[in-house]
Amino acid sequence: MYGLLWRALPGPGWAKFIQVLVLLGLLFYVLFTWVYPWISDTFVGTDPNFG
Amino acid sequence: MIVGRFFFAAVGVIGELMITVGLLLGGYVLWNVWWDSNQSAAIAEQGVADFYETVEAAPKTAAELNTDDPPPVDDAPGDGETLGVLIVPAWYDLTNNTMPIREGTSDAVLDQAAAGRYSDTAMPGEVGNFALAGHRRTHGNSFRFVDRLEPGDQIIVETATTWYVYAVTEDYVVTPDQSDVIAPVPRSPGVDPTERLLTLTTCHSPSMGEWGNSHRWITHAKFVGWMDREDGMPEQVLNDPGVM
Repeated sequence: MYGLLWRALPGPGWAKFIQVLVLLGLLFYVLFTWVYPWISDTFVGTDPNFG
Repeated sequence: MIVGRFFFAAVGVIGELMITVGLLLGGYVLWNVWWDSNQSAAIAEQGVADFYETVEAAPKTAAELNTDDPPPVDDAPGDGETLGVLIVPAWYDLTNNTMPIREGTSDAVLDQAAAGRYSDTAMPGEVGNFALAGHRRTHGNSFRFVDRLEPGDQIIVETATTWYVYAVTEDYVVTPDQSDVIAPVPRSPGVDPTERLLTLTTCHSPSMGEWGNSHRWITHAKFVGWMDREDGMPEQVLNDPGVM
């Protein structure tokens, strides 16, 4: 699967590498901003309350 | 290129999926422990700064502790509003020690690294049990080092008018259903209180320690005295540049 992605990206190796970095950055931006907070609120209980 | 192609061919799709899951989980841990906690702590810090904008700065001199007269007691603020600042001198150099105390114990309060007042408990200085909840790890690690507190260690509550000083008396671990630890007389619900107490409640687990959520760490403290902001501040906080 990552092989397909690598081949689909245009340009020489270093350009692909930079694109991968950008994609990873975007991915983790989305994860940190929306996905992880949602997981934390929905599935992970850390509420130190009583009752 | 050749190395890249060889690598991807060799690992195979299943391997890649496992790597992906690992990265996503690792990313979550990173977010939870580092990113989100820093965000929460920053919000808490801003909350303290906002509170200080609304009050007169106390003179930077050590004031004398009033142990004779009963302290003034403020009215409870609206839900989520800041009623004061919590300072635990024993936590200096360990954690973000100066945290806002807000009304209520909802996620909205606690997830922003504030200490939340259980709304049906006493106010600072009031006879009864002034009880606070805070996160142990994650969301700002508010009460992370609660287990370092020894009997006699001070817990200081600063409001718009008054410094309240409490001293730790005992700590123990209970399960989350034992909510009578925040009763006016802890573990004796229905009994009329005669003492002014403060209680910290936070997450704990016998097996996972500060990371667990199965139990509650309880620390009780007893009121020792108070001082007027106009007279100065407790000498324990004099060297804290963040306090005013």
